[in-house]
Amino acid sequence: MAIGLTRATLPQTAAVDLRTYARGAKRRRELLLVWVFLLPSLTVFFLYRILPLLWNVALSFQQFSLFRGTRWIGLEHYVEMWQDDVFWTSLWNTLIFLLSAPVGILLALAVSLMVNADIRGRNVYRTIVFLSYPLMTVAVGIIWRWMYDEKVGLFNFVLRKLGLIDAPLAFLQSFELVLPSVLLANIWQILGFYMIVLLAGLQNIPQNLYEAASIDGASRWQQFVKITLPMLRPALFLAFVIGIMTSITSFDLVYVMTQGGPSHSSELLVTYIYKAAFELSKLDYAAALTVVQFLLLVTLTWIGNRMSGGDAGAVEREG
Amino acid sequence: MKITHWTRWVGTSRTIASICLLFALSFSAWGEQKKLTLLTWNISNQGKVVQEWIDDFKRVRPDVDVNWIDKKGTEVAAYYQTQIIAGTPPDIVDLQGAIWLEYAAQGGLLDITPYLAKNPDVRRRFEPDYLAAWVYQGKNYMLPFYVAKTLLFYNKTMFKAAGIAGPPETFEQLVDDASKMSKGDKTGLVTLNFDWLYWPLFKMNGVELLTPDLKKAAFNTPKGVSVLDALAKATANGGINKISWTGRWVEPIGAFSAGNVGMFIAHSPAFFNMRGLAPWLNADTLGIADLPGGWATPSLHGLGISKGSPNADIAWQFLAMVTSDKYTRKLSDFAYFLTGNAATDRELLERLRKEDPLAARVLQTQLEQTDKLTGNWSLPSDARVKEAFYPEIQNAVLGRKSAAEALKDAETKVDRVLAR
Amino acid sequence: MNRPKPSRSDPMHRYPRWPLHVMLVAISFAMLLPFYWVLKTSLTGENIFVYPPSILPHHAQPFYYVDVWYFIPFARFLLNSVIVSVLAIVANVVFNAMAAFALSKSFPGRGWIITLLLSCMMIPFQTTIVPAYLITGKLGLLNSYLGLALPTFSTIVCIFVYKASFDAIPRSLIDAARIDGLSELRILMRIMLPLSTSAIATNVILAFIWSWNNFLWPLIVVRDQAMQTLPLGLSRFLSDHENTTGALYAFCIMVLAPGIALFLMAQKQFIRGLTSGATKG
Repeated sequence: MAIGLTRATLPQTAAVDLRTYARGAKRRRELLLVWVFLLPSLTVFFLYRILPLLWNVALSFQQFSLFRGTRWIGLEHYVEMWQDDVFWTSLWNTLIFLLSAPVGILLALAVSLMVNADIRGRNVYRTIVFLSYPLMTVAVGIIWRWMYDEKVGLFNFVLRKLGLIDAPLAFLQSFELVLPSVLLANIWQILGFYMIVLLAGLQNIPQNLYEAASIDGASRWQQFVKITLPMLRPALFLAFVIGIMTSITSFDLVYVMTQGGPSHSSELLVTYIYKAAFELSKLDYAAALTVVQFLLLVTLTWIGNRMSGGDAGAVEREG
Repeated sequence: MKITHWTRWVGTSRTIASICLLFALSFSAWGEQKKLTLLTWNISNQGKVVQEWIDDFKRVRPDVDVNWIDKKGTEVAAYYQTQIIAGTPPDIVDLQGAIWLEYAAQGGLLDITPYLAKNPDVRRRFEPDYLAAWVYQGKNYMLPFYVAKTLLFYNKTMFKAAGIAGPPETFEQLVDDASKMSKGDKTGLVTLNFDWLYWPLFKMNGVELLTPDLKKAAFNTPKGVSVLDALAKATANGGINKISWTGRWVEPIGAFSAGNVGMFIAHSPAFFNMRGLAPWLNADTLGIADLPGGWATPSLHGLGISKGSPNADIAWQFLAMVTSDKYTRKLSDFAYFLTGNAATDRELLERLRKEDPLAARVLQTQLEQTDKLTGNWSLPSDARVKEAFYPEIQNAVLGRKSAAEALKDAETKVDRVLAR
Repeated sequence: MNRPKPSRSDPMHRYPRWPLHVMLVAISFAMLLPFYWVLKTSLTGENIFVYPPSILPHHAQPFYYVDVWYFIPFARFLLNSVIVSVLAIVANVVFNAMAAFALSKSFPGRGWIITLLLSCMMIPFQTTIVPAYLITGKLGLLNSYLGLALPTFSTIVCIFVYKASFDAIPRSLIDAARIDGLSELRILMRIMLPLSTSAIATNVILAFIWSWNNFLWPLIVVRDQAMQTLPLGLSRFLSDHENTTGALYAFCIMVLAPGIALFLMAQKQFIRGLTSGATKG
């Protein structure tokens, strides 16, 4: 029975309904706006990353010939990969590359904090650190190859002058030293990239937090651990992702410095993919390698994302 | 309220309009004529000459626009393959090394034997051995365009200092001389290693890579092991510079030009490159010789026509023009190039003997003993065989595996590649 | 340049500066060492494989830089690169801000989109060239400025840089703006972007560098010599037949210069001033 419907209650109900309706419409508008705003970027990624990835996935199950068309062969490439020594070597090398990312990130964090401090000439220091990043890899590669040279290179020259070693070290011709050598050159080149991302992140930390902490008597270290680090989480997460990406983006450096040699000791998955695709004309096998590498890196990124809160490291907003 | 809405959008629409204008300006227009695309392998320093060819061809065929694209060596394959997949292969393609075999075997290159049969004058203009280098299964696929092969450069000063009379005549002498000259920062030998350029070191000992039917590996013999072992020992004691096995082009040339290496196995362009870097280079200090046994690996460029080209006849016309005496002469005048055109090459040598005798001596070696070419097999899977073989060589010479072990592993891998 | 007064808010206040300078000088030395050799060789064209290595430049002359201008159609390539990079920068600054703004709100499916974006970062460009070429061909953009710039129109790292900046803006500020009746677009443009100048600067710098240095994509998609961008001129300096050492390094320095100039200009966005606290507090 409509006992509840009294004069007193009726206008209120109507008013509530109206507000809910208005909120609903507003919500729909907001959703539309969100997708409209995401559209341009998503289109670019769809066209130039997702579609190509799907192309690779499809190709990985096919036998591909440049001039004679394709046919489906199922998991043959993946079976071949399982038995391929070079694949395992390049996978291992890629993992080493990934595991060494924290070194670069810590170094970059230290440098970023230093160049963000109130010191004279910080513009100069920042520019010097950044200088290496936009430099063309071919120049970086040749100079570092010379520096590492066994007979005439700079490192051996200095190390021997300082009496630290007796016999010259063949950095890039040594199966053990080649990957660390390339890693060092890589860190040198990518430090600027890390720095710029971390600097941007440092600008997002409100000054008044430090002021308040200072007044409360917090030490510099405490301020760093309790304020800087947590608020840098999005930037650090980005640095972590960049670290995972260097196993891909250092393609140019590895290719120029060692071509993955000697004997695949510095072969990364990404260089093996390029070689398979264009030097060995095995685009189909390269596609399968791409899929495997993608799954590996995405898994790591996903784990990192979950561990940092699921929102690309974002910090809870104040207020 | 309405007015605020409207004015708000003016600003935005102005921005949108200017962005649209920018986009509109970025579209470029295509021509309507017949188009011939020429893809070359890193010859942009001969740009002037190529442009002359294109302009002259325009006069002969005004209905054809020649579009010239030059790519760096390591990216030609990526570009070419992308174009093929997209269905727009360049009509004329300049290829180096063995990759042409792969394309020819898969039906990607046009068989030009009929054209050569119809035009015997074109066929006659080439050095026969270099023309034959572009034959696969009895069919011609490319015309010689650039010719070079390995030779031995040696530093006479270093030879004198080590008490070595002249260039080595056997493999043992070669390794021995190299070890004699290794001292401190100096090494005895450096070699280029891409495209099988080091292979004469094996061939001069009678080691074959594959059986004559190209179906199985043939290098895992006691002789093969002893050669590899000697190379490994020489690398370990500094006789052979380690860059030989890991460097590509810049480092070996830099090392020899610096006067720190006794011998250099390379093909003729290295000479012209070195001259700019090595002020000490002259006829008294630079020795030129063939490798022991006269064996050499050729490094050749050839011009061919893509199978999918819709303008094969026009492409042939262009090829016939640029490989003719007149146009190859332009190239060799400009860049001391050996083009494989016999008459032009002879003329160049004649001229250089008077103008630049040292260069003449270098180029002379490129045209001699062309019956002793090695390191080139009629193998479409050349790249994969190389990939299976060379890392094992690196393992041996850089001391990770014994020569016997390395060759055994290489044999297994190469056989696997050939079996596919 | 006045030395900024050490402020009470600076956690480095009251501590001596010289250890910092010592460390930074050491780091600068390490960072500059290889670069010094590139610069030196660009001026001397010498053979770096000479032993012992020469520390000082001998016979330095600037003519390799002139060579670079003439060896390749430098002006043309430069123009092409500038157009492509300007397109890329504009698109990045706009699209990435929009995407980041959307991501800073909560909506159903946001987690999935973030995961998707992070995954897209793990696809190396080398594996996408063939399909990217085919797609660009279908769009009719081969051999055009738009085709050259399109793949670099938006980058995920830059979206997240914006997002980090937007997330740091207190909710109260945005809510106040909403109550005032500002539209979302207005909020983005009038409130969030002005407070994210360092993110904009980062976007500009990174978008510029990635489109400017992009080598493989222009190599694949350009069919006319006249449409090539600057990095493609590289092959001219890697000639087999002649010694182009000095010119090669001079070329690399010339390609580097605009990026560094841009970074220098954007420096002031990265100074943590007193203002950044006030408006974000």
